[in-house]
Amino acid sequence: MAKRRTFESLTDVHSLLTDKTSVKEPVERVFAEEIEGSEPQRPDDSPETDGRTTRNRREPTNYGGDDRRSLVSTPSRSDSVFKLVSFTAGATTVGIMLAVGLFLSLRANDALQVEGINFLFEQQWSPDTHQFGIAAVIFGTFTIAIIAMFVGVPLAVGTALLLSEVVRGPLRSFMVSMVDLMAAVPSVVFGLWGLFFLQANVIPVSKWISTYFAWIPVFAVQDSATGQTLTEASAFTSSAFIAGIVVGLMVVPTQTSVMREAFSQAPVGEREAAFALGSTRWGMIRTVVLPFGRGGMIGGVMLGLGRALGETIAVYLIISPIFTINWEVLKTGTNSVSALIALRYGEATQFGLSALMAAGLVLFLITLIVNFTASSIVARSRSGAQTN
Amino acid sequence: MTPRIRFIRLVTAAAALIVLLFSSAGGVAVQSASADTYVPISGSGSTWSQNALDQWRKNVAANYGMTVNYSGTGSSAGRQDFITGAVDFAVSEIPFQAQPEDGSAPEVPSTKYAYMPIVAGGTSFMYNLKIGGKRVTNLRLDGDVITKIFTGAITNWNDPAIQKDNPGLAMPDKPIVPVLRSDGSGSTAQFTLWMSKKHSDLWNTFCTSVGRATPCGLTSQYPGFGNAKLQNGSLGVAGYVSQDYGEGAITYVEYSYALKSGFPVAKVLNNAGYYIEPTAPSVAVALVGATINPNLTQELSGVYNNTDPRTYPLSSYSYMIIPTEVKGIFTAEKGKTLGAFTSYLLCEGQQQAAALGYSPLPLNLVQAASDQVKRIPGGPAGGVDLANCNNPALTILNSAPQPAACDQQGPNQCTTGTAGAVTDTPVTGSGSGGAAANAPAGSAGAAGSAAAAASGAAAGGAAAASSAAADPAAAAAASNTAVYDANGAVVTGSAAVGAAVAVSRPLSLDDSAFGAQQIVMIAAGVLLLLAIVLPPFLSRRLRRHR
Repeated sequence: MAKRRTFESLTDVHSLLTDKTSVKEPVERVFAEEIEGSEPQRPDDSPETDGRTTRNRREPTNYGGDDRRSLVSTPSRSDSVFKLVSFTAGATTVGIMLAVGLFLSLRANDALQVEGINFLFEQQWSPDTHQFGIAAVIFGTFTIAIIAMFVGVPLAVGTALLLSEVVRGPLRSFMVSMVDLMAAVPSVVFGLWGLFFLQANVIPVSKWISTYFAWIPVFAVQDSATGQTLTEASAFTSSAFIAGIVVGLMVVPTQTSVMREAFSQAPVGEREAAFALGSTRWGMIRTVVLPFGRGGMIGGVMLGLGRALGETIAVYLIISPIFTINWEVLKTGTNSVSALIALRYGEATQFGLSALMAAGLVLFLITLIVNFTASSIVARSRSGAQTN
Repeated sequence: MTPRIRFIRLVTAAAALIVLLFSSAGGVAVQSASADTYVPISGSGSTWSQNALDQWRKNVAANYGMTVNYSGTGSSAGRQDFITGAVDFAVSEIPFQAQPEDGSAPEVPSTKYAYMPIVAGGTSFMYNLKIGGKRVTNLRLDGDVITKIFTGAITNWNDPAIQKDNPGLAMPDKPIVPVLRSDGSGSTAQFTLWMSKKHSDLWNTFCTSVGRATPCGLTSQYPGFGNAKLQNGSLGVAGYVSQDYGEGAITYVEYSYALKSGFPVAKVLNNAGYYIEPTAPSVAVALVGATINPNLTQELSGVYNNTDPRTYPLSSYSYMIIPTEVKGIFTAEKGKTLGAFTSYLLCEGQQQAAALGYSPLPLNLVQAASDQVKRIPGGPAGGVDLANCNNPALTILNSAPQPAACDQQGPNQCTTGTAGAVTDTPVTGSGSGGAAANAPAGSAGAAGSAAAAASGAAAGGAAAASSAAADPAAAAAASNTAVYDANGAVVTGSAAVGAAVAVSRPLSLDDSAFGAQQIVMIAAGVLLLLAIVLPPFLSRRLRRHR
């Protein structure tokens, strides 16, 4: 093919400067496909180029296909097979979810009958004496997840913007695969790293925060009995803060890939307009990319939150489980539902297992609520982005 | 696609194929070597015994072609599996619970069963303590103090009770951080069993304070309290204590973990008035006092109160629960495998107990176990052949070394290190040793560190009396002439500060040869690395050529 270069937009000029291979000939392709009337081959290229050609391609087809034809479509055999297969897959997935919920409710029944509604408000966990509840455990689960969000979200937003807006070429593909690789690291590896390397290095940071910000109640570290301020290194180990940092790093890759995808969908026209009006790259990101990617950002955060709530092994390795509500996040001792189950099921009696299932059921329901909220927020903000 | 790329693809595919062929060929070779007449058996249960069981399973698979599956899911889960008939045998620290405290259904197996001792061990107390910046390696504790530390009654290292046990050390003003297991574990069960039997008043008071029903016996799940940290697994607790922030921490863990992390363990006062380290011989000597109830459960009061001066009081063993009738999934063929496996582990297998951080079973327990092996349907009718039994602990009463005089309760305190920490801790030899605690170690320290370099491997033998003979060269290097016993410990007493050196000889392990398996592993690693690194760079290239 001849070396003809068509610059559709400023971003094409940008990409030409950074990467010589990414410029395509969209106009020519549009004409070619109209003549042949066949499905065009999708060019393997970066998503923004892909999105552009798709939009350009549709316009002529809409104008050309207005002959008189029946609006009732008879599905072809391949269509009906596809429909059947996808319905089966969807129904199976939903069915498995329901089966997990049903299993948990059945097994949790014994424990819930004994404890009743008090299960949600009791802090102690002692199924042997029939005194158990998940107030402290759920509190710990959320503490860790929220800290994880504070650590993970800024990192994920920054990385996603870097990957979608700043770097180009082989470096970018390399970084993308590196971030994806991070998602493939087993959580036990993260946990061991957090336990044997990170913890010793985070303790001075915890100490510094607790020294200078102790006037904020959550950052104070005090002896629970005497109210004395603690300064021993051992007072800062195995805290929700350390577990939160590790979990935060674990959710970064998931959040990054969701956000990167959303950012790269920001329309080229608006980007060009922003550049044409004289905005800097940051100005363009702030006024175009971030508003358009808002749905994706929220979706990514919620997806990460769901994972952080359910993270087991890393938390299980790091925390020192306690069964009281501990507001001081830098101080030793926190808990999480999944870590509780992992720690206790091995030596649990039948009744103890039932109590653990009840805790699992509560986590299951909370995660469902989080995900439903997330999807509704995402759906709303996505439709908003399209009408803009 | 250009020819060059086609060539690259071809070469990669060929390489992958070769690696595949190699690995599958290796697998076939191993399979054919292990073909024999033993039917596979499976079991589940205790995590505490898992290291030993895994080693034995590996050995019988390699030597006799026996397949024994074992999953360390926890003692309670193991007993449940045995009741439901999901496994052929179970391993547990505690017997079936006829009346569970929480009102669960009683654990009643439908099949007939027997308890059989399989592996013994001592609960050791690994600690991280420094006096004036120098690590303490010769701490001594009595049972009362240990119980008080782990129930929150003693919270500072300078407590008079600890000082009384350690006349040669100036105990520092440092809070004690007890590190407990957060997961359900056999170590916890054995430790709490000892506390509930020997110090029931302190233990019951503690149980009440954490909201448990009294009188409370053993528990697999240690309740957290006050300053205590809960960590997961033996690796977790040992890891916590060995970190810099773990200064002032003490934990209960298998002896092997203290050896591996290079940390000392506390010597515990026994009924004869000696402070003893939980080495394999001292645990085995203690278990000579173990008796077995008519219902085959363990009775350890004879162990806790053993008056032999060489005994470590916190010693116990775990059971294998074996079926004694053919029922459900258990057949006579499986009985043959189980009989052969148990005969192996009671004799040959016990040789490795010390290296794995356990202790070999002494004669009385092997005999008791042998009586149960006889009852396995399809098992060996005569039980274990004691005449040809290579268990090193059968004659432990004759071979175990006597403790050093400085380990006796009194004003003297040995300076030698314990477990993984072999450097000495200088002491005064009198009740108040403030000055000596900060004194330089002198020549003994240098000699001690030379011995420390050689410690790792030798320590794996848990200072087995036979292998750890005194090394003449190192002894000559020490400034004073010191008298050593067979264990490498000083016999002359603590007055000779500076002469006390723990001497040991390194134990070398055979390197496995660099064979086909290693090559395949390296090739697989390289391929994996290429699969990760290449695509981003290669895809650009391939696209350009299209």
